[in-house]
Amino acid sequence: MDPSEIILLDGAMGTMLQAAGLPIGQLPELWNILRPELVSAVHRRYAEAGSRVIYTNTFGANRYKTAGCGRSVAEIVEAGVRCAREGARGYDVKVALDIGPIGQLLEPLGKLGFDEAYDVFREIVAAGEAAGADLIVIETMSDLYEMKAAVLAAKENSALPVWATMTFEATGRSFLGVTVSAMALTLTALGVDALGFNCSLGPRELLPLVRELRKWTALPLILKPNAGLPDPATGEYHVAPAEFAAELKDALALGVSIVGGCCGTTPEYILAAAAALKGLSPAPRPETLLRGVCCASNTAALDGVRVIGERINPTGKKLFQQALREGNLDYIAQRAVEQQDAGAEILDVNVGLPGLDEPDLMRRTVKALQAAVDLPLQIDSSDPKAIEAGLRAYNGKAIVNSVNGKAEVLDAILPLCKKYGAAVVGLCMDENGIPQTWRERVAIARRILDAALAHGIAKEDVFIDCLTLTVSAQQEQALETLRALRAVKEELGLRTVLGVSNISFGLPARETITVSFLTQAMHAGLDLPIVNPNQRAVMDAVAAFRVLSGQDRDSEAYIRRFADAPPASPAPAAGGMSLDEALMRGMGQECAALTAAALEKMSELEVVDSLLIPALDRVGERYERQEIFLPQLMKAASAACAGFDLIKARIAARGGSAVSKGKIILATVQGDIHDIGKNIVRVVLENYGYTVIDLGRDVAPEAVVEAAVREDAGLVGLSALMTTTVASMAETIAALRRSGHNCRIMVGGAVLTEEYAAQIGADYYARDAKQGADIAKEVLG
Amino acid sequence: MVPRLDGIRRAETLQYLSYHGSALPDRIRADLDRCEALLLQTARPRLVWKLFSLLDDGTLEGTDYRPGGEDIHAFLQDCDSVVLLAATLGAEAESLIRRAAGRDMADAVILDAAGSAAIETVCDNFCDDLAASLAPRFLTDRFSPGYGDMPLSDQHALFRVLDVSRRIGVTLSQSALMIPQKSVTALIGVSDRPQKKRGRSCESCGMFETCPYRKEGKSCGSF
Repeated sequence: MDPSEIILLDGAMGTMLQAAGLPIGQLPELWNILRPELVSAVHRRYAEAGSRVIYTNTFGANRYKTAGCGRSVAEIVEAGVRCAREGARGYDVKVALDIGPIGQLLEPLGKLGFDEAYDVFREIVAAGEAAGADLIVIETMSDLYEMKAAVLAAKENSALPVWATMTFEATGRSFLGVTVSAMALTLTALGVDALGFNCSLGPRELLPLVRELRKWTALPLILKPNAGLPDPATGEYHVAPAEFAAELKDALALGVSIVGGCCGTTPEYILAAAAALKGLSPAPRPETLLRGVCCASNTAALDGVRVIGERINPTGKKLFQQALREGNLDYIAQRAVEQQDAGAEILDVNVGLPGLDEPDLMRRTVKALQAAVDLPLQIDSSDPKAIEAGLRAYNGKAIVNSVNGKAEVLDAILPLCKKYGAAVVGLCMDENGIPQTWRERVAIARRILDAALAHGIAKEDVFIDCLTLTVSAQQEQALETLRALRAVKEELGLRTVLGVSNISFGLPARETITVSFLTQAMHAGLDLPIVNPNQRAVMDAVAAFRVLSGQDRDSEAYIRRFADAPPASPAPAAGGMSLDEALMRGMGQECAALTAAALEKMSELEVVDSLLIPALDRVGERYERQEIFLPQLMKAASAACAGFDLIKARIAARGGSAVSKGKIILATVQGDIHDIGKNIVRVVLENYGYTVIDLGRDVAPEAVVEAAVREDAGLVGLSALMTTTVASMAETIAALRRSGHNCRIMVGGAVLTEEYAAQIGADYYARDAKQGADIAKEVLG
Repeated sequence: MVPRLDGIRRAETLQYLSYHGSALPDRIRADLDRCEALLLQTARPRLVWKLFSLLDDGTLEGTDYRPGGEDIHAFLQDCDSVVLLAATLGAEAESLIRRAAGRDMADAVILDAAGSAAIETVCDNFCDDLAASLAPRFLTDRFSPGYGDMPLSDQHALFRVLDVSRRIGVTLSQSALMIPQKSVTALIGVSDRPQKKRGRSCESCGMFETCPYRKEGKSCGSF
């Protein structure tokens, strides 16, 4: 594509079809089959007006939106391409297969799985390519994850060029909080051929967003805005064709080269644009771009030191290992939240543990972490399958940690980084191990860079790790690492990453060595330190470096960090407060202190049975008597958690197996998305020492049965909040009974009653979380 | 009409939390203050609406949508037009509430209840603004899919007619539930005659479908 050439797109299709008699609310795509002459006539008018690329009338031609219309996706898409070809006959016009959003929200906020979204798009792409489309346009997306599914589907199932545009609000974010930089970084790295905005707003309102976009990508830019802002009462648009065309001219001055119209625009707008833009060229683009890695809603710009948190890693952490074995992703997500709160800007994710299915665990962990925090992730594994699973599931532009100088490693992993659009960390080692001199390490870095470039990965996406060796074992190597780092930075011009904590292994007062080495490394040019952000001294050193290096302008962040520093809090006094009081006031620290004191005299199990659970019972009774209400019950549960955590940590530390009073499966039934009630029950049951397997919301009956049998759960709890989903609850109960598994079933939810529960075959009705715990006691002891 | 969320009614939040009027401890009061502030700061209320003439058979003019059930048509008997409304607190608030469940369930339940109160406020404010702009004509209360005999599946048609997903980013699950959850769709009748205010009633309450009191044949006492 010649970036100096202007490509004129078409205008709205829906608006035109409605003018031709399509009732509002009816599926416009069906007219490809029912009224092809009308659809072709619209295409023809755009071709006559000067459009060089027209979009097929297939925006909503996916299996969800067309369900029940009597025609298959393939038929509608094929007819859509045919209508466009027919309309464009005699003109030099390309036909773009138009793909819009599915209309269902993807995980984590919604329920549609990434793989299913991919398959929805695959179906459209296959039909469109077979029908002879010239290129694929994915538009009006507000979810970057859905966009990624569509781009992958397009690239893996066709050889056509792919254009991608998203819809944004004037705030600079999409409805789902996607930022312009995240869109640009992710789609550029995924290898689309052009990108930009459509729909959203009028051209004028979109110009500030174009200004942001051009900082982050060198790809051709697309702008296909609405005819201004809609009149709220009538939905009509008010910017006239001449004004619209003039505003598009301003976009050209920002380097936009592909323009057209969305809602409210007609052939008159395209005609006006063709006249106004005739003979013009798009302005040149910035020579240097901003760089970064991102998740959908947050970008870590690589313009200074960015802290990578190292705590999502099982090495040497018994509780973390246990959580991985149990598939307890909540525990892992909490480690992510802690690091985000402590100031980490990127999180390293390592879930490798012998005997576990690392690819599956990586995929699920990446999703769980992206649901919990707004931070870019670094996929840390040596298994190419685990790396691919993580990258595919990831929403944004990730980092892969890592490759090294070994040819077979480079050949296995670099293609994945290229395909999924990730930056990559290269370790300065190869088949001969870690070189002892800085020169040899730089030589390996150079080899890694050359290999990455050969695989089509941009130089700016290669980060080099010069490797930290333990100073107590190989003292002279600390300086070699720093020298190598400086040379990689200065001679190769690459960004650097370094796992810092290892330096101090085996020495007393480790933090002193770690912080000192970190500071020297940053001064030698370290961009991405991998550290434990929960160590305050480490983050203080970073904050200080940012002041001294000029990254933290006017020391603003530094001053804020220390202005907000809480006064050192006195150690919680265990004396003076009863456990009941600590729970009632929601004081976790006190609860932990009281638990610790009790553990000096009793076994873990005794503390649970004779202290924590009776105290929880008393809180529950007060809740039943309506002396306290829900938030207080939840605060007490959280406080008790601190006590239970202490007990779990003690047991794990001496290698014992966890205390569990039995397994309970919880699920919000299929069709229902309300899960707060179920989550409340889960918190309380966990507090009573049960192992709760939470299947989430909108769970199919067969998934509940499968889990009940697999886990041999003694009790299954089902939740439904809507009258309409109680039927689905009855189905789930019937399926459980049919399976022959002898679990007991309790049900709860706002619309249920004792009688209703009995009627659909449940064993128990739980009015609230407290009663759920009572039932669990009766069934499981 | 711009969406207005100028505050969150504490009494309504407490009602959704089944608060029974025992003393509200200072700590909980502080939590409520903090969660309400957080929600107000995070939520980005959006709405889309459109005024339609009603045809004699109850169909909305220019569309193929005739609201389902009989109750809505009785409700609109004096009306020649109807406003369709969809409003949401946005994905930002949804994400805030969902993430709170992983951090602190006490915050999560408060945010959830405050979110229900907040979206009601957005709708109430919209109706006030709409009434002012359509004066001297009169408005009915809001009537939503799921009220009376109007099926929840009406959501699908309503979403297509208002182009809700494209305009404000709310999506509909296959079981016709909205995500973000703190979203409301409604029909509001427009008439030349004053409409009987049903006032704050169970039917016009955001908890209508899920109210624990209503299922026991009681009310929370505020209606």
